[in-house]
Amino acid sequence: MSNNFLDVKNVNFRIGGKTKVKDVSFSIQNEGDIVCLLGPSGIGKTTILRTIAGLENIEKGSIDLKGKTLSSKNIHIEPEYRNISLAFQENSLFPHYSVEKNILIGAEKNKEKKDKKISFKEIVKLLDIEKILNKFPHQISAGEAQRASLARSLISKPDLLLLDEPLSNVDQSFKEEIQVRLKKILNKLKISTIIVTHDSYEAFYLGSKCGIILNQKLKQFDDPYKVYHFPNSIEVVNFLNRGILIPATIIDENTLENDDLGLIKGNFIQHFSIGSKVQLLLQPEDLEHDDSSNFKLDVVDRKFRGTNFIYTLKTHNNNLIPVLVHTHHHEQHEINDKFGVKKPITLEHIVCFK
Amino acid sequence: MQKSFNIWLLTSLVISIGVLIPIATVFFSFFEETSNYYEILKDTFLVEYIVNSFVLLISVLSLTFLIGTASAYFVSFYKFPFCDFFKWALILSFAVPPYIYAYSLTAFFENYGTLFSILTNLFGEANYNKNIPKFDGVIGSILSLSFSLYAYVYILARASFLYQSQNLIDLGRNLGFSKFKSFYFLILPAARPAIVAGLSLVAMETLAEFGAVDFFSINTLTTGIYNSWITFDDLAFSNRLSFFLLIFIFALFIIENFSRKNAKYHLNNRGGFKQKQKTQLSGKKAFFVFIFCFSILFLSFIFPLSQMFYWTIKFPENLYDLKILTLTLNTVYLVILSSLVLIVFSLVSNYGNRVSKNKMLNLLSTLSISGYAIPGVILAVAFITFIGWFDDNIVKAFGFSSIKKIFIGSVLGLVLVYFVRFYSLAFNGIKSGYEKINISVDESSYLLGYSKKKTFLNIHVPFLRNSLLFVGILVSLEIVRELPITLILRPFNFETFATTAYISASEDLLEAAAVPSLFLILIATIFIMLTSKYILRENEQ
Repeated sequence: MSNNFLDVKNVNFRIGGKTKVKDVSFSIQNEGDIVCLLGPSGIGKTTILRTIAGLENIEKGSIDLKGKTLSSKNIHIEPEYRNISLAFQENSLFPHYSVEKNILIGAEKNKEKKDKKISFKEIVKLLDIEKILNKFPHQISAGEAQRASLARSLISKPDLLLLDEPLSNVDQSFKEEIQVRLKKILNKLKISTIIVTHDSYEAFYLGSKCGIILNQKLKQFDDPYKVYHFPNSIEVVNFLNRGILIPATIIDENTLENDDLGLIKGNFIQHFSIGSKVQLLLQPEDLEHDDSSNFKLDVVDRKFRGTNFIYTLKTHNNNLIPVLVHTHHHEQHEINDKFGVKKPITLEHIVCFK
Repeated sequence: MQKSFNIWLLTSLVISIGVLIPIATVFFSFFEETSNYYEILKDTFLVEYIVNSFVLLISVLSLTFLIGTASAYFVSFYKFPFCDFFKWALILSFAVPPYIYAYSLTAFFENYGTLFSILTNLFGEANYNKNIPKFDGVIGSILSLSFSLYAYVYILARASFLYQSQNLIDLGRNLGFSKFKSFYFLILPAARPAIVAGLSLVAMETLAEFGAVDFFSINTLTTGIYNSWITFDDLAFSNRLSFFLLIFIFALFIIENFSRKNAKYHLNNRGGFKQKQKTQLSGKKAFFVFIFCFSILFLSFIFPLSQMFYWTIKFPENLYDLKILTLTLNTVYLVILSSLVLIVFSLVSNYGNRVSKNKMLNLLSTLSISGYAIPGVILAVAFITFIGWFDDNIVKAFGFSSIKKIFIGSVLGLVLVYFVRFYSLAFNGIKSGYEKINISVDESSYLLGYSKKKTFLNIHVPFLRNSLLFVGILVSLEIVRELPITLILRPFNFETFATTAYISASEDLLEAAAVPSLFLILIATIFIMLTSKYILRENEQ
């Protein structure tokens, strides 16, 4: 028996008789850890949460919480006996009760539990829902309903909290603040949480581990830093939209060569035999801007991203390479300008795929 | 904990199968032996039954379409004097069942009837009888049915018109359409599914109608079913006729369901919806529209009500002869008992459907709600057939004493058949309330530690309170008006306002039929006034 807080072992996640995600295994090691699951819409992220909550059955594998099997082929503990809370993406507040009453119903659960103590006032203030307490669910906005639902889930002191796109309807201006508050409260209460989102930045901020679900598989489950910098497959690269793949040949254990960029040095994350043809992941922050360099490429596009510009450069072989430059760099370039790239090219990490 | 057995699924399954039994009986009885009556009838009246049913159907559909759609169009698109009053008053015709309308029509136009008295009072004595038109027979049946049933088309067409966006009207103007062209090419096609749904309901009611056509001695399939059982004691043939009628009705039922589904797409409440501005009418136009709506209200409601009221005053002895208290108590007893049974079982069945997500149960539920499409006469006859078969083949086979008396000619039997007949009304009414509760609300409740029972009692029932009240009143209204089932299955000497009126009318004592008819209309009017608030509010949401 493992000592993990939550163990999901080889589970096929199904809904309506249709398998959405196959053979999934991951775990939450310690109580209070936060895991984020990322993936495109309709891939089955919500199905995973529903199944862990006990709203769907499984036919293969097992789900164990605190060493106790909740779901397997022959075992299914009903949702009401799991002490797992799920905050739905859509408005799931009880329609005939006020927001306040809805949250208080959550407080009824586990009220004798001494740990994970949080007061009604505290949680209401934290999620900024004081003004809507007397309103009914149909009288509030989608974002407010999401926060009220989150409050109800948090106050019920669950062993495991499942959040389905918890901030998808919250205004962008308020979202970051709520993210900070949410992380703070989850850490304070030590509530283990699985968050489903399609916002990679939200996942990287909130999660101590991130899972990427693509093509019916959990493709990668790792620290956010590693997921971001060392994606383990071309599919993950494409999903995160973090750069481009260019052809290259392995020269030695620290070097590879591309027809357009020449020799590129760095530390390989995965080793390949010398002479292998690979696809090199080139991320926007990999190449350095240097107008004094003799190596120049044509600017074909420039995206303004607030603190940065992302220039798209065209190589001789018509590959398009993104390069990130701070907004306040000295010589800004227009489309069709020549853009200098620092040589020799040295990368912190080299991520390649066969 | 092992995967548990779902008690809700079992309960819903039992309810659905129970409702389906009489329906299935009709189909199985089709293959039974019949008496010579079938041969006689096949060569004589069978064609007449079918032709009369068909003529009635087409005529009533045409008339209800015209009245229902036109009145719905006027109250939805125009402002004219008393338009807010007409909005709900036009559904009052539901309070007058076709058979009571038929009594009024006859009473007013018959020789030396009310019209004769009016003309005599106004212009002195003369032989007016030969100049007074007689609205009896097929014409009388068509008018009685049309003025009583047009409200189905009115309600559904109005709901559809109400949701039509101002954008549609603006589009017509932008294309240079006249008002008539806009109505014909834009508004009417957009409301077509709703109107078809309304007409399908009218068609089913027309084919099921017993009281009015029996009063006017029109031979239709429904009266044929009743007569072959009552007069010729041939249950099997009665069922065979029912089978023919059911095939007809199921075709309509499918059309109605299909149209209703399409109708949803026309209720545009998503983005881009622009609240419609009503056009203010004045002068001749306002007068014409007012007169049109008032005429409909007058002919469908005020006229029969006044006629019954007039006779009640003119022949007060009938009022004293009638055991009003007994009739009221009988009616109230049936209404309360049946409504309670229907609400409780429909609620449980709805919840069972919701939590079990079982495909077979879903199919059974869909079939079992077809009960409302089946004429009361057929259901009553099928019920007797089934009890007879069950008694002979099961009960007696095991050596028990007969159960026929428990079910036939008893309040229990009556309530059971009402249950089958009005189950869909209750089931769908509660279902539409349930559709407003997102399934994630149930799931949140489970995750907060509530059991299924606690979710049902603490979350669903309080939320559905208004829906339950609405369904209760709607079912009560139907039971108060209901005639053939009550007539066939009621206990000996147990009368309601409907059966008392029918018996008096069939004995040619129309004056005596006036008092129970008047009471029936008044009770039904109260029920309609109570529910109209919900009907109209629901449409406007």
